[in-house]
Amino acid sequence: MTVIEAERPEVATSIHLSGEAYRAATRGWLHENLPPGFRSDRADFSPPRLEQSITWEAAMHRAGLTGIIWPVAYGGHGRTLREHLIANQEIGALAMPESVNSIGKELAGPIILAVGTEEQKQRFLPAILEMRDIWCQGFSEPEAGSDLAGLRTRATRVGDNWLINGQKIWTSGAYRSQRCLVLARTGTLEDRHRGLAMFAVRLDAPGVRVRTIKSIDERESFCEVFFDDVEVLQSDALGAPDEGWATAIKVLEIERATNRMYRAWRFENELRHLISAYKTDSALAKLLRDRHYAVRLGEVVVDIEVLKAHVETAVDALVCGERIGARGSLAKLHWSEAHQRFAALALELLSQALLPLGPSIKVARRRFEMIYLQARAETIYAGTTEIQLGVIADRILQLSRGK
Amino acid sequence: MMDLIEQGLQPADFASTAARAVSACAGLSLREQAARLAGDGLLGVIAHDHVGGLGLPLSFAVPVVAAANAGLLGFPLMETLLLSRALRPSMRRIAEDVVSGEKLATIAWQSAVVLERQGDAVVLNGAVARAPVAAEVDYVLVRVGDSAAALIPVGAEGARIEPATGLDLTVPEHGLRLENVRISGDDLLAEGGWPALCADAGVLRAAAILGSAETCLDLAQAHASTRRQFGRALSSNQAIRHAMARHKLGLESMRHAITRALGTEAGARERDVAFLAASNHGTAISEGALQIHGGMGFTWDVPVHRHVRRIRTLQAQGDASGVMAALGQRTIAEIAPAAEAAA
Repeated sequence: MTVIEAERPEVATSIHLSGEAYRAATRGWLHENLPPGFRSDRADFSPPRLEQSITWEAAMHRAGLTGIIWPVAYGGHGRTLREHLIANQEIGALAMPESVNSIGKELAGPIILAVGTEEQKQRFLPAILEMRDIWCQGFSEPEAGSDLAGLRTRATRVGDNWLINGQKIWTSGAYRSQRCLVLARTGTLEDRHRGLAMFAVRLDAPGVRVRTIKSIDERESFCEVFFDDVEVLQSDALGAPDEGWATAIKVLEIERATNRMYRAWRFENELRHLISAYKTDSALAKLLRDRHYAVRLGEVVVDIEVLKAHVETAVDALVCGERIGARGSLAKLHWSEAHQRFAALALELLSQALLPLGPSIKVARRRFEMIYLQARAETIYAGTTEIQLGVIADRILQLSRGK
Repeated sequence: MMDLIEQGLQPADFASTAARAVSACAGLSLREQAARLAGDGLLGVIAHDHVGGLGLPLSFAVPVVAAANAGLLGFPLMETLLLSRALRPSMRRIAEDVVSGEKLATIAWQSAVVLERQGDAVVLNGAVARAPVAAEVDYVLVRVGDSAAALIPVGAEGARIEPATGLDLTVPEHGLRLENVRISGDDLLAEGGWPALCADAGVLRAAAILGSAETCLDLAQAHASTRRQFGRALSSNQAIRHAMARHKLGLESMRHAITRALGTEAGARERDVAFLAASNHGTAISEGALQIHGGMGFTWDVPVHRHVRRIRTLQAQGDASGVMAALGQRTIAEIAPAAEAAA
């Protein structure tokens, strides 16, 4: 790994760069520094090990490409949301590995920025960006998946501090995390959303046990996390016990509309990879001349461009100071379903390759079989499709439930 | 024009004017509608100021066309807006008459005629179709060859309007047959004029579908909230709620795609996408609204079918299927094969 040696942090962090110059600097830095083996569109692709991801993401931060809009005082780069969009367009254009700390950067971090104390901001935020602390999300429970109001993990006051008991599930990456953003109940189950508090729980604390769950992509990233009389200091409680969740909801609305902003451009990278691989095989290239496939690929282009439109108009709205409200649900519903449609089409196209497979077809098959499987999760996590439809019906259309 | 924009004029400012004018057009003849719309300055929104237009960017025509379709205006407004700007300087008089509503014009969206030059004159032969209200207008713009266009006076010798066909009843589509129709070379739009016109038409057609689709969703929502079955409002059923949530996603997707197509960096791809997104979602929303209305949706009096008819007509006029295939083919053509050595 040559990430550290090769980086030129001054290129992308220079505050004097803006607009297209910033884009060019970002693109240049990524091309120069992204280890070739990290690119899933190459034959020598090898998924980065944890320590390689940590090194790479820390280098991205030093180069100005994570924590882009966070305040400089907390390790961020103090840039605008439009520049965040530009950087993400360039990040999406490369077949890069996903962050192993996206929960830290896109969920815990923004929540801490909104409700954390000054001491918490100083302590947690730079550690997230510098990859000293990887975070996971402890929201879902065996009895509370989509319905978070029904969660049972309890936080009990003991003196000045808290004692947490309960179980979380579907906690992606808990085995590799230092901190878990835990949502726990301080009141009774009947309180529903009231009385939910958030904590930054150390995963090496006594009483925490993590068990991995094998998922359909053969990975063991999914986890169950058990909390058995885990003592949490008051200084690790995020926001007031009764207000933390309400504030977090507002943060989550923005996050749903803006997280992984590179998605549309990565989607485009995948489409380009599929077509370029397909064209290396003369029999398959002939299939592409079929109007049927032209129409279906045209539909993918429309899906991608519509996703870009959702993202860009959300950025415009936020820059103009508008509330994003529930509209993140619209974008989430669109991208998750559109990506599944594309992944299925990619699989269908690549399944028509005859033996012996050429090297490019092999690379594409490996990538798109994984994308297909992983895309099945996209309509489940971050609020299932059914939850998003409910949010749109309830909060955007405000449809009457009248008896 | 720039003065108006500098004074803070926004595209949305035209929406309410257009909606009022469209309401006022109900029951009027086509020529009376032209006079009314021209009186409100709506026919020349994007036409150059030297022909009496406001010279505003295309984005200002979007709310006008959307409002026109929301109110099921029976006038070829999109065609008038585009023509008023596309006519070349030698046709200035006609452009002025179109903007002022004294003359009516439309565009035949399907097929092209063949041109033969005879001295200064040109002779046109062939058949074109999908020309809204061609039987009642003074001029029809027809495509010539691949990328040029010609303005044909409807009374020209050798020009024959075919009976109306198609789904849209308020703006019926006609065919036009040309047999040795002689026109002046001045009446031709330059090569490349047709594709430029079509690119703008894609965005305005998307706006038209948006206007209709938005009305359909409003109608469906109003119906679902008030119609009671099994002792409760239709809208309390999850199947109905989720269907309408999908329609809302479609509506916002087309709205954002239109906004993006009007951006300073937008090109042909963004314009095609706006039209295609509108075409896909507009049909789903309008047909879904009909379904939510149940048996009432199938009646003549409930206006949803009028929007279904119009959206399907706009989809066909813009050749959605052909545009989709061409978008896919262009994308495929743009991408080079992977370099096997590097792979």
